[in-house]
Amino acid sequence: MILDLIQNSFDGLAMGASYALLAVGFTLVFGVLRRVNLSYGPAIMFGCYAATWVSFSFHSNIFLLLGIAVLGSVLAGTYVERLCFAPHHKGSAIAAMVASFALWMQFEEVVTLVMPKHLYDFPPMFDAEPLAIGPLSLRAEALVMLACALAICFALHRMLYRSRFGLALRAVTDAPVAAQLAGINVPRVLLLVFLLASAIGGLAGWLIVSTHTQVTPMLGMWSTLKGLLAMMIGGLGSLPGAVIGGLALGVLEAHSQWFLGPQARDLIAYLLLFVLLAWRPRWMTTSHG
Amino acid sequence: MTALLEVRDLVTAYGKIEALKGVNLDVQQGSITCLLGPNGAGKTTLMMTIAGILRPRIGSIRFAGEEIAGRPPHAIVAGGAALVPENRLVFPNMTVLDNLHAGAYQRKDDFASDIERLFTRFPRLKERSTQLAGTLSGGEQQMLAVARALMSRPKLLLMDEPSLGLAPLVVEEIFRIITQLHQDGVSIFLVEQNAHMALKVAQHFYLMEQGKVTFSGTPGALAEDEVIRRAYLGSARA
Repeated sequence: MILDLIQNSFDGLAMGASYALLAVGFTLVFGVLRRVNLSYGPAIMFGCYAATWVSFSFHSNIFLLLGIAVLGSVLAGTYVERLCFAPHHKGSAIAAMVASFALWMQFEEVVTLVMPKHLYDFPPMFDAEPLAIGPLSLRAEALVMLACALAICFALHRMLYRSRFGLALRAVTDAPVAAQLAGINVPRVLLLVFLLASAIGGLAGWLIVSTHTQVTPMLGMWSTLKGLLAMMIGGLGSLPGAVIGGLALGVLEAHSQWFLGPQARDLIAYLLLFVLLAWRPRWMTTSHG
Repeated sequence: MTALLEVRDLVTAYGKIEALKGVNLDVQQGSITCLLGPNGAGKTTLMMTIAGILRPRIGSIRFAGEEIAGRPPHAIVAGGAALVPENRLVFPNMTVLDNLHAGAYQRKDDFASDIERLFTRFPRLKERSTQLAGTLSGGEQQMLAVARALMSRPKLLLMDEPSLGLAPLVVEEIFRIITQLHQDGVSIFLVEQNAHMALKVAQHFYLMEQGKVTFSGTPGALAEDEVIRRAYLGSARA
């Protein structure tokens, strides 16, 4: 029983690390734009499909595939920013969100046109057996996921508080008009934030598909959903909150699946979101940091 | 004296409603020029248009000999005009020091000495340099907003209602700073509701009513009482 708890918690944390990365990407964009980008997940899916296609057509070196996934996500993300968000900086939030939904459909259409099967294999990160530590087993992928999430959080923190771009990003998040008056090129910062978020999303996507060793067009919706859920649990617009929300979601899902069965997995996650939205604890409504 | 800022026939609209209906005015190099007028006259719209936040529909804004109408705000800051906006607009969740760094965003040179100088001018900001700007009092936030604008080393400082909502002692402090900055060679274009204070420091003033400049002159002239009355109440024709 205790061992199950420990094992599930660890597996949950590893999965949660990838949710945390998805949520961090979401939060970066939401923080500066106050807009929800529904196409966030589908852009990641596009990157992962590009990597899958390369693995079938050319080579399946994992670093090459990681590079393609990130590059593909960034390209798709730029397309989304230029079409949905750049023209609406001062306009309607709903228009931007609906436009991002339209691009979601485009991405799904494009990938299913080029690769029409429902499911494609994706090369795994390692061929190694899980490490056994006493009765517990640790998958190497899980360690990589946790390490990547940790490294990204650390790098982001340094970037935010030590770099010129980080200063601009915080300023735009805090008071966009004041940022313009301070001489910050706000549209450029917004584009760069979008690219950064897409790159982090691409990394998260690659971690997920190479752990699951398969890709389907559902990855788009799945990534948007998990990222949005983790971001909301952590309190909209807070980066530390996004990380905590992602990890909490992962652990919660792992335990619900173990104790209540696979059907309960998503159900419990939505139940948690429902409870949090109904209860609205302080951190969900006040954190912007 | 030559005009540092020349505004000609400027029209800015929100949808179909014209907030500026052809504004003409000059700010002379090295002067304090003051813009008076009742609420809703379009003073803030004019400031936001000069700073590039709003795009004019027609008209010209020449700054230091260059046409700047319609340029993005960061280009206007780069050109040497900085706006201290209405209601302060500091970065509330950033420290005082980070607010100042943001003000120097475009500067490539070393600005550490500028921060030291500003801290001598605003000792309260030095005491609170690591505090979040949102926790400062209204007067301190106003000082911070001015200091942030000065970090870009502007030739022209645009100030939109710096005394709004502040206690009388703090207002006096703000006007003392405005006079000091002017003595240091910064040209200042000041929007004020507080006409009495503004006319004490300004060399030239404009009165704006319903989107147009309706009067201009030099403080001390006979018409002053009438101007003050109209600045507060709007003209009888309205």
